Amino acid sequence: MWFRAEGSVGRWGFMLHRLTGLALSLYLGVHLVLLNQLRAGPGAWDAFVRLMRSPLILALDALLLGAAAFHGFNGLRLTLLGLGWAVRWQKVMLWASVALAVAFTAWFGTRMISG
Amino acid sequence: MKDQGPMQSGPRRGMLVWALQAISGVLLVAAIALHWFAQHLVVEGGLRDYSQVVSYLREPLVLALETSFLVVVTTHALLGLRAILMDLGPTKRVERLLNLGLGLAGIGAVVYGIELTLELVR
Repeated sequence: MWFRAEGSVGRWGFMLHRLTGLALSLYLGVHLVLLNQLRAGPGAWDAFVRLMRSPLILALDALLLGAAAFHGFNGLRLTLLGLGWAVRWQKVMLWASVALAVAFTAWFGTRMISG
Repeated sequence: MKDQGPMQSGPRRGMLVWALQAISGVLLVAAIALHWFAQHLVVEGGLRDYSQVVSYLREPLVLALETSFLVVVTTHALLGLRAILMDLGPTKRVERLLNLGLGLAGIGAVVYGIELTLELVR
């Protein structure tokens, strides 16, 4: 099964891709439901926005961003591999996806928390 | 109808689904970058207040981009969920139910998003 990642680094990449995909799909559903607050008008939305700016939510946002960045970069890697391109570079591209995701999370996280 | 055993979607259909997943994924990398930039990075405090959301969505180009983004992200997410569930080896009947359920969920999400957006910009 895909969630048994023992073995190659590539399987770890595949497992992480699916786990981040599941988390992002869950977030998409929650995000769409929360946007419904807009129907309640300016007071309700602006109070909701203040809640979303709390440090705990911002920290979760930074983690979400890391998951999205990894999923995006690793998805491009998987697309290339699926087309049979750059196969010999697959491990390098996987580590590059991890490094880019960490860098994005750190950059955006710092920006978000510093306001 | 009797089940035909473990799912076999066929290589051609599998290729089409893979291509749709890959194309929507590549589009999403650009769309999410744009969405994050416009909705969070350039906004004071990282989130738009109510009046900013409404005036932003009243731009026709923005409305078109955000609606396209919703369609693409929903398609990509549901195809991803489908791929995970298909790896469990469902029967043909379960595969059909899965396709129907995910299709309806996708249509529902897009209709909901468009209806909410139109209510705001009216």
